[in-house]
Amino acid sequence: MTKKNKIHKILKRRVLVLDGATGTELYRRGMPAGVCPEKWCLENPGVIQGIHFDYACAGSDVVYTCTFGANEYKLKQYGQTDVYGINKKLAQLARKAAGPKVLVAGDIGPTGHFVHPFGSLSFEDAVKAFKKQVKGLVAGGVDLFVIETMMDIQEARAALIAVKEEVPAAFVMVTMTFESDGRTLGGTDPVSALIILQSLGADMVGCNCSRGPKGMLEIVKIMKPYATVPLVAKPNAGMPKLIKGKTFFDMDSNRFAELIKSFTTYGVAALGGCCGTTPEHIHKLKKAIARKETVLPKRKAISAISSARKSVVFGESFPLIIVGESINPSGKKALAEDLRSKRFSLLRSLAKEQESNGAQALDVNVAASGVNEAQAMERAIEILSQSFSLPLSIDSADTSVIEKALRLYPGRALINSISAEKQKIDKLLPVAAKYGAMFILLPVTDKGVPQTAQERKKIINSMFKEAQKRGFSKDDILVDGLVMTISSNPLAAIETLKTIKWCKRQFRTKTIVGLSNVSFGLPQRKLINSTFLGLTQNAGLTAAIANPLHVSVKKNKLAENLLLGKDKDATKFVTYFSKRKERKVKLPFRAKLSPKQKVHEAILEGNRETIINYIDEALAVGIAPRSLVQETMIAAITQVGDLFDKKQYFLPQLVASAETMKKGFDHLAPRLKEYRKELGKKTLILLATVEGDIHDIGKNIVALMLRNHGFKVIDLGKDVSAKKIIQSIKQYKPALVGLSALMTTTMVNMPEVIKLAKKEGLRCKFIVGGAVLNQHYARSIGADYAKDGVEAVRVAKKLIINK
Amino acid sequence: MSVPLNDVIFFDSIPIPLPKARIYKRLGYKEGITQLPPDQQGEVEQYIEEGAALISLTGVALRLSVQKREVARIVFSNNVEFNSKHLCAWLERCKEAVFMGATAGQKVIDAIKKDTAEGSLTQGVIYDAVASEVTDAALDWIMEYFNRELRRENKQLDTKRYSAGYGDFSLENQKAIYEMLKLGKLGVNITDKYILVPEKSVTAVSGVQEIVSK
Repeated sequence: MTKKNKIHKILKRRVLVLDGATGTELYRRGMPAGVCPEKWCLENPGVIQGIHFDYACAGSDVVYTCTFGANEYKLKQYGQTDVYGINKKLAQLARKAAGPKVLVAGDIGPTGHFVHPFGSLSFEDAVKAFKKQVKGLVAGGVDLFVIETMMDIQEARAALIAVKEEVPAAFVMVTMTFESDGRTLGGTDPVSALIILQSLGADMVGCNCSRGPKGMLEIVKIMKPYATVPLVAKPNAGMPKLIKGKTFFDMDSNRFAELIKSFTTYGVAALGGCCGTTPEHIHKLKKAIARKETVLPKRKAISAISSARKSVVFGESFPLIIVGESINPSGKKALAEDLRSKRFSLLRSLAKEQESNGAQALDVNVAASGVNEAQAMERAIEILSQSFSLPLSIDSADTSVIEKALRLYPGRALINSISAEKQKIDKLLPVAAKYGAMFILLPVTDKGVPQTAQERKKIINSMFKEAQKRGFSKDDILVDGLVMTISSNPLAAIETLKTIKWCKRQFRTKTIVGLSNVSFGLPQRKLINSTFLGLTQNAGLTAAIANPLHVSVKKNKLAENLLLGKDKDATKFVTYFSKRKERKVKLPFRAKLSPKQKVHEAILEGNRETIINYIDEALAVGIAPRSLVQETMIAAITQVGDLFDKKQYFLPQLVASAETMKKGFDHLAPRLKEYRKELGKKTLILLATVEGDIHDIGKNIVALMLRNHGFKVIDLGKDVSAKKIIQSIKQYKPALVGLSALMTTTMVNMPEVIKLAKKEGLRCKFIVGGAVLNQHYARSIGADYAKDGVEAVRVAKKLIINK
Repeated sequence: MSVPLNDVIFFDSIPIPLPKARIYKRLGYKEGITQLPPDQQGEVEQYIEEGAALISLTGVALRLSVQKREVARIVFSNNVEFNSKHLCAWLERCKEAVFMGATAGQKVIDAIKKDTAEGSLTQGVIYDAVASEVTDAALDWIMEYFNRELRRENKQLDTKRYSAGYGDFSLENQKAIYEMLKLGKLGVNITDKYILVPEKSVTAVSGVQEIVSK
């Protein structure tokens, strides 16, 4: 069924014209709402054949079968079970309507479920479902396949693998749908989607739906530099707009065609339309691009790996890539135990730690005694794909573990590694080729580790020839420079450097090393590792498997990238070191401050860690606690309140300062008994979030602020009944009662409390606050109002102290 | 039609990018006015990331057609009816509506409580803002999910949402929404005062509009 050659021939000459919308056309031509489109088309073949025919007449080279929702999960929603039959019949209808010159693409859309590890549908169940659909489409005589409107990269992978496994020679286009933030609903960016899908064997990759031509062009521009396959685009007829109470797709066929012309400049070799487009749009599009030549990608492969959310490109113009080495239980008892117990909490921590410290990818090795490696690897991939964005390097000595991991990993992985050992190369090269993985070429044979660079070169050459037979290029591999420990072979480092230099200058391929091996068994390992990193990078190293937490490695990397011109405008170097410098400058400055000023500054900056030291320093030089509170701390927190009012501080700063103040206040409390007595009972404030409301964060802030200003606060908590508040008023006799509510439905409980208090003859004042309240409402129920914690203090002072 | 009527769709994991700009805005940050030194920003960013890591964002949605509509009464295809003039007006031109719900999970709420109780209110305040905004963004995500499917039917969701507790659409209606969305399956409970627990759990309804050919 494949027309691969025919399509490639067209693409060399001109842009392939696809069809326009099917779904919106069906509704326009009378399909009622609420029906199964596939079933309806089979019952009304004339309508769908009319659409195919009209697109063919308008100039489409390819029409899509009306099988977007013809997978078992979507059909089941309408009680349909004959996946094979429905796909076959709809493909036959398209074949017949489009005529012999037009290609028919078997259309595969999403199942409506997110696929594991991003959803509940298992990866193999997804593959199985798509295969059923593919079989029907093949039987119906389709010429190629299109996997479209995908928002979950794992589902797109499942569909692509299903097609490739059923029809290995098929021509397959895959288009994802990107939202206004430039990512799919699953969070995948255009470059990552492209890298994953083109390496997995898609013949064309691109985007459809969700955007009009303008928005889609931005996506295409982002993809182009990384494309190894021609791009495809099917934008909507603009975006739906509400005009005078009615919603329209806002772009007519002339404007659509005008805008879509420029797509060809950015490597788009197949163009059509999605929602809202009609045969008229395709006709105008065909005319607009009639004389346009395609700009096909020059690169055949790209040295890049990708997770579902982030890609990393290896190469000369890019800085040295650090692949975090810490997820490896070898020599790490705690990690081995974490894996054995299936907790994976340490694995998460190590991933987080490495990500935070600058690793750009994570090496994952979970082989340990008592651990089912295949299961552990699957779980590790699941966790790391869901919670982290870094691409993975799959590190295992077990070929079956690697194969399973590559199939399930929702990205393009790096295999660590493929050696020239017969069993490894025979098994892993085909696996790497099938899943489009990059791999680390380890120049080790069944005879062992070659000691010299000369021996290694021979192995690298011969391994690469084998890889070439499987379709790999030099961009798909990273050669391992083979770092051996210098404590057992003093010349080991020199041979590694020679290997790296040869790869860079003669063989012209990229390299990677497992950095820390070099210092094994020696003291000062960080120093040796860091110095060796400098030497290897100078020799042309592309990437290192290393511990990014070794600061020396990080600094070294920054300095070397700077010296080798790999850090444009020295941005990364300057940013890193200027931040450190800034911290150092502050300290001597602070040393010149008086103890009172230090306390003041600590509160202003929300410095909870140092406030007690500064208070002790102030007390040590004879400053009275009361004076410190009244003249320094209250002044500081009042200044914070002013800054908050002016919006120069925002809420976290206000709260951090208040917490600092509280910490200082608590520390001084034993020395402030007299002061607190003086404030007496008149400063007692009762706080509560009213009945029905469980949102109390605002009330907690108010409590903290009031306490900092010397008020005694009794906090009754949240969801407090009017009865309980009244009882508490009788018990504590507060000067003021503060009530909070977040919702309109619960703020109505405030007047109930106030009425009840009046009825009981209680004379206390009320202050109310909360997101939905205002001054007007407060007045109407006989209370004062404060919009936030700062204002609450002001109002409380006005009502109690300054009355 | 790609999204069927009357079937509750569960979203086990909603993968949204962290809406940092919205979190900062919620916390009162004003671009060009608020002065946030790098050290303090580092702390805020750290708590935002920590808060986000505690969130397990799940959601649910249900597409229904309108069976009957009066001035202050609307009946949906699952026979659930609501008495609200405002809701009827909100869905005035819509033949269908999508009810949706989302929750940030219990873990982040426990952390907020713990931080607040242990005197780390700064952390609690930031976690609270993260959970609120992320949950709200989850509803945006669910709407995008539906729009992607609805566009193929020449339809789209109204850009705005309406919730129980707004106007005369009383909070008591939360109970019916809770039940028809099967929110219990997401680990969400409803109190006898119609409050969803965990705290950062929300529901809303949005009308489906027809896209008309020009």
